Amino acid sequence: MIKINVTSVPVNDQTKALDFYTRVLGFMKKTDVPVGEHRWLTVVSQEEQSGVELLLEPMAFEPAQVYQQALKEAGIPYTSFAVDDLQSEYERLVELGVEFSMPPKEAGPVIIAVLDDTVGNNIQIMQYL
Amino acid sequence: MPNTSFYETEIDRLYSEMPMRPEQYARVRQSKALMEEYYGDKIELDDLAQSAFMSRFHYGRTFQRMYGLTPRIFLRDLRIAKAKALIRQGISITQVCADVGYESLPTFSAVFKKCTGQTPKQYQLSHKSNLE
Repeated sequence: MIKINVTSVPVNDQTKALDFYTRVLGFMKKTDVPVGEHRWLTVVSQEEQSGVELLLEPMAFEPAQVYQQALKEAGIPYTSFAVDDLQSEYERLVELGVEFSMPPKEAGPVIIAVLDDTVGNNIQIMQYL
Repeated sequence: MPNTSFYETEIDRLYSEMPMRPEQYARVRQSKALMEEYYGDKIELDDLAQSAFMSRFHYGRTFQRMYGLTPRIFLRDLRIAKAKALIRQGISITQVCADVGYESLPTFSAVFKKCTGQTPKQYQLSHKSNLE
């Protein structure tokens, strides 16, 4: 049975990204291995430590920076994470100083909001209703 | 960001063009909430459809359009996720089987294996060995 084990977000600063994704969003660091001038740096959900790893991928490939910038400017999320209670998570993150380009909004079966991850991406958080 | 982003504008447009009315969304959500509360009981598709004020066929299609999977598969996955959590807590497999709404242990084991790749016993053992 094939599975998703790693997915990634491109980040313009791995150290800053690790701080944001762990201290602010609440993921846990799983792997941190030096690779050349960068790191193979992954985080996981605290609830699913054997689950899918999120690679905080260094932006070493020039054309990817153009793509990331275009998504950012259009407010398009690079990826989406699930939360149990979006409204309370939104309030917690705002309290921590996180900036949202889209506050919680209902859209059919979900509520979604879009935040700035401080390392180049819009990230969507969502809750199924 | 002071102005509405391209993304937000698109979300608004797409949502407004969806064929379902807001009250239909609310009814299907309510049926999903029923499954989340009563997954340990016997739940029939007809009851869920009735709770959403829809025919069985229309309900199944609408649920799938909203959540990307049929109500039957949603309930199965929910039960197996709950079962995994209970097994990890050290509850016996027979008890877990009953707690998540399966009347037959062989059926529960087969479904569990299909969803996770392991039988409940294998899952229980692998979790125990991880703890040791």
